[in-house]
Amino acid sequence: MDWRSEDRGNAIVAAPVGAVDHDSAEDFEKNLTAAMRQAAAAGTPLVVDLGGVEYMSSVGLRALMRVAKEAKTGSVRVAVANLNETMLEIFQISRFDKIFPVHTSVDAAVAG
Amino acid sequence: MLARFWGTRGSLPTPVTSPEIKTKLVDALLAANGRRFADADEARGFVESELDFAVSHTYGGDSSCVELDLGEGEFMVLDMGSGLRRLGIDALRRFGEGRAKTFNIFMSHLHWDHIMGFPFFTPAFIPGVKLNFFGGHDQIEQALRRQQEKISFPVPLDFMNAERTFTALTCGVTQEINGCRIELIKQYHDNDSYGYRIEQNGKILVYSTDSEHKGDDAAAEDAFVEFFRDADLVIFDTMYSLGDSITMKADWGHSSGMIAVDLCHRAGAKRLAMFHHDPLYDDKTLDGLLDETRRYEALMRRDHALEILCASDGLEISL
Repeated sequence: MDWRSEDRGNAIVAAPVGAVDHDSAEDFEKNLTAAMRQAAAAGTPLVVDLGGVEYMSSVGLRALMRVAKEAKTGSVRVAVANLNETMLEIFQISRFDKIFPVHTSVDAAVAG
Repeated sequence: MLARFWGTRGSLPTPVTSPEIKTKLVDALLAANGRRFADADEARGFVESELDFAVSHTYGGDSSCVELDLGEGEFMVLDMGSGLRRLGIDALRRFGEGRAKTFNIFMSHLHWDHIMGFPFFTPAFIPGVKLNFFGGHDQIEQALRRQQEKISFPVPLDFMNAERTFTALTCGVTQEINGCRIELIKQYHDNDSYGYRIEQNGKILVYSTDSEHKGDDAAAEDAFVEFFRDADLVIFDTMYSLGDSITMKADWGHSSGMIAVDLCHRAGAKRLAMFHHDPLYDDKTLDGLLDETRRYEALMRRDHALEILCASDGLEISL
């Protein structure tokens, strides 16, 4: 899957592009883990910009959770931003909206 | 082939309470809004067609027990939760109609909620009845015997007059039992559990309860997809939300409706029955979970639609 990662100094912003499902979840987890470890090394939060994600299946959500759990052990704050309507519904159905801080913009996510 | 649900609740029987019944009656009266009914049939039609399921029915409270009714011959039973008691009573009626007095009982595992119905299974006390137990575990007899030790129950296993056989099944080996092709798969659950794929006359039923899917092993997930392949009905453990199942309830051995949908979509399964309901959930909550799971299915659907229903005690699904 397409992937952009940016070091903003005060946060690592990871931006996957495309659908996150059975075919792409492994790639998603690998890239997100790398971004999270970059944030851990820099001592900054990790913001996952989901603006380019069309949808995410349970496989992708479970990968996101595994990375978040590793982030917690390294005291890295993880936030998500820019969810489209489909992704907002998926977060509500999965109750991920109760687990992750969901922000309407990357700037808001960085600010926490 | 008919799937008949005798118990759909997980972990513990969960009887509907008087306050819950009162709430249903109030909601029904409000929905009727003063309407008059000419007779019981007309009132029944209103109840069946115009009220939400959670108002007019209950998903039920007995723990896991599903019958696969082949229409004739021997009985096929999946798990012996508290729902087994009522199956036993109904079986007596069917004995009277000439039904064979043999039960083939397939155990997902031996946790209490899946065996607690057996001491109250009337056919087990009748000479001439035959009980054939099958499972991935080789401790079925031990589990039943221990459950009926004097400290827990007044009637020991050996007081029950039905003939008993116990057969441990092996994953990857297809068995022919009572005219059905039976396969099983090991599942992630404390002390393991086993799912069943049962084929007969071109119809396929999958029973997969008490199974957690962590999603961190692609090959393991692929194996489940193949196990579910082209199933006419998948009965699946949808006990928790996805979020709960991988956070505070991780390693509790249960799954979610979203995981069920994703596996069924990949497998090309036709119908999904949500099963093993959390005792914390009332009927309205289960109605809501069904709506959410159907919505997720619609969002994720790519090539074929998956029909989704929420299993309730007394439900029958024809395959």
